[in-house]
Amino acid sequence: MSFPDPIAVFRTEAAELLEQIEAGLLDLNVNLGDKDQVDAVFRGLHTLKGSGAMFGFDALAAFTHHCETAFDRVRKGEVPATRELVTAVLEAKDHMRALVDTPNGDHEATGEALLANLRAAVDGANNPGTGVFAKAAPGQNHFKIRFSLPQNAMANGTNPLPLLDELRELGECEIVADRSAIPSLELLAPTDLYVSWEVELLTTQPRSAIDDVFIFVMDEMQLDVTTVEPAPAARTPAKTQAPAAETLPAAVPQVVAAAPAAQPAPAATALVDAKQKKASENVRVPAEKLDELMDRVGELVIAQSRLSQLAGGSGDLQLRAVSEDVERLSGELRDTMMVLRMVPVTQLFGRFRRLVHDLAHETGKTIELVTEGETTEVDKSVIERLADPLVHLVRNSCDHGLETPEERRAAGKPEAGHILLSARQQAGEVIITIKDDGRGINKERVRAKAESSGLIAPNANLTDQELYQLIFQPGFSTAQTVTNLSGRGVGMDVVKRTIDALRGTINVTSHVGKGSEISLAIPLTLAIIDGLLVRVGDGRYVIPLSAVEECLELPIEEDMRSRGRSFISLRDSLVPFLRLRDLFRTGTKPDPFQKVVVISTGSERVGLVVDQIIGDHQTVIKGMSKLHHDVATFSGATILGDGDVALILDVGHLVAEGQQQEAHLRAAG
Amino acid sequence: MPASEVKEDCFRLPQNLTVRAITNVQQEILQFLDKTASTTIELDDDCQVDISFIQLLEAARIYAGTAGKHIALARPASGPTLDVLKRSGFLEGMSAEDLKFWLHQGGIQ
Repeated sequence: MSFPDPIAVFRTEAAELLEQIEAGLLDLNVNLGDKDQVDAVFRGLHTLKGSGAMFGFDALAAFTHHCETAFDRVRKGEVPATRELVTAVLEAKDHMRALVDTPNGDHEATGEALLANLRAAVDGANNPGTGVFAKAAPGQNHFKIRFSLPQNAMANGTNPLPLLDELRELGECEIVADRSAIPSLELLAPTDLYVSWEVELLTTQPRSAIDDVFIFVMDEMQLDVTTVEPAPAARTPAKTQAPAAETLPAAVPQVVAAAPAAQPAPAATALVDAKQKKASENVRVPAEKLDELMDRVGELVIAQSRLSQLAGGSGDLQLRAVSEDVERLSGELRDTMMVLRMVPVTQLFGRFRRLVHDLAHETGKTIELVTEGETTEVDKSVIERLADPLVHLVRNSCDHGLETPEERRAAGKPEAGHILLSARQQAGEVIITIKDDGRGINKERVRAKAESSGLIAPNANLTDQELYQLIFQPGFSTAQTVTNLSGRGVGMDVVKRTIDALRGTINVTSHVGKGSEISLAIPLTLAIIDGLLVRVGDGRYVIPLSAVEECLELPIEEDMRSRGRSFISLRDSLVPFLRLRDLFRTGTKPDPFQKVVVISTGSERVGLVVDQIIGDHQTVIKGMSKLHHDVATFSGATILGDGDVALILDVGHLVAEGQQQEAHLRAAG
Repeated sequence: MPASEVKEDCFRLPQNLTVRAITNVQQEILQFLDKTASTTIELDDDCQVDISFIQLLEAARIYAGTAGKHIALARPASGPTLDVLKRSGFLEGMSAEDLKFWLHQGGIQ
């Protein structure tokens, strides 16, 4: 067993503390009289300093001590909380982060400058009335803003230019791009953002106007805003700073000495206890640890399967009892593991607010985005991989789906176009839907384009669904104009590839003039599923249990009667079925009592004729090799208890094939 | 088939120089820089540009500098490229070298 590196543990804790400190400072900035926030910031600084000293981060401890002392004075009522003080400590917080990350770095000069700011802020707070903006006219605020967007901002559809434009609209503004983080070309990830910005702004707007500009990316970005005070005529000369320096001692030994004195008041202590209790109920675990655990659980399930098989073939009742216990426990362990990996789609949907906002700006359209089912939970690896396809689909809806306000007015529609992004669970799948009330897909144009590019034969008989699926072909675009958002036919094939890789399906419905709806059905998890193990010829296969509706016998006479048409009558409705023996060309004779496993995706059903139903099976999904990635009938493979490999049937593909067969037979009369 | 056109040491970039196409552009420029000692980049007047392209050319300048090669724009930045340079704050605080590369100011390319 490996023990975690204590320094790594400290860094994780320090990062959390710094987040808490930042949150407290930002809340305090809104309400400077909030004593709870003053206490919270003080406690965070106090803990960070103490832990830092304990783990040998002396520079951090010494630096943090100054901020703690400043907040201790605020706590005791010796100086008021001011925005300047909050800003100074916010800047100092970033420096603390650097001291945590690179304790041996050259931080002295920056630290000194920040401490000078802090002293000035405490001084200013102590002598209200000395702060006058040097450049700013009365009623104007002078801000220095430094911000960096998330590295994947551009890839996720956030264009920094409109944000900079919005800042300019706030007042007199100077924007300087910081290019220092741009690497050499061979090291550049070209869709990542390496540029950050420094902005100086003179405005009559309050600080909150700056936050508003970044409201949609605020959670993921770094934003530091400093209110600039001019050098006043009676700026405190060096000598008169001495007393302040005394109140903010710099020596490390005093850091430790000051610690015991910093005891929170009883009421605050109760609050801390409650918060700490709440915090102790949650544990933060790195994602790769969860993946590792998932792999282990997968191996356990395979071993358990082998044990079950051995026990089943043995007459030892005690062995069977133990095997059943292990089976139950491994099943429960698997279920618990699944829950741990689930995260709500709200994380995914959140980023589209900003995307739609920007797209509306760029296209000149009025677009309202509505999200539903944000609490729907999906495996974290699925969420990560869904982001790109959804960006493409939302872009497409905004750019091609929705009409311009003029077109909408002419069509008798409200000026604002609507896009609905929703998520829901349905039988082991999550259904993500992107629906717009735009112009809909022009089927004739899709057909013409497909015919001209040779994707389909002229006048080919296709269902609407088959026709719509053509839009996911590489290079397929019916857009008459290519914009910088979409229209080049690049993107929709990426959507298809990603959804295929996730073992999902895409369903498109559209009505001209009314809008389109694209539904992505994705398995809730990509790791372990409950499966139904069946035999076809000499091979064994797994059907995902979540898709199985029922199993029934196929009598010989029914089998003979249905030859050539492949339908069974199921409670007064005809269900198409596929003989897997024929599909897989096993070359074996059918068993005398064949079975039909009825599977479904949503409202569409198809029966699969198999030779034998072996039983349920916990299926650890293993990917297919590169050689087999084009085989559409199977979505993966699994290892059985006896070491054999069983292929996992791709339900979506089989249902589509069955429905296609039904359509052809119906068309043939 | 890349939309870029190559003639001797002159490299004409495709129209779409936004984040959606930038990965291909990176590969093409890298390959071209590796083949020649001096590269002149040609841009369409009506090309589509965003910050990813400006960033890419900055990275290409660093690469060329390290490899002892020369890279320049065939013409001073204008149109959409100049607009993005202005809006993104790249023009502010440009060094003499930057001005020379982007705007052909202060020397002959």
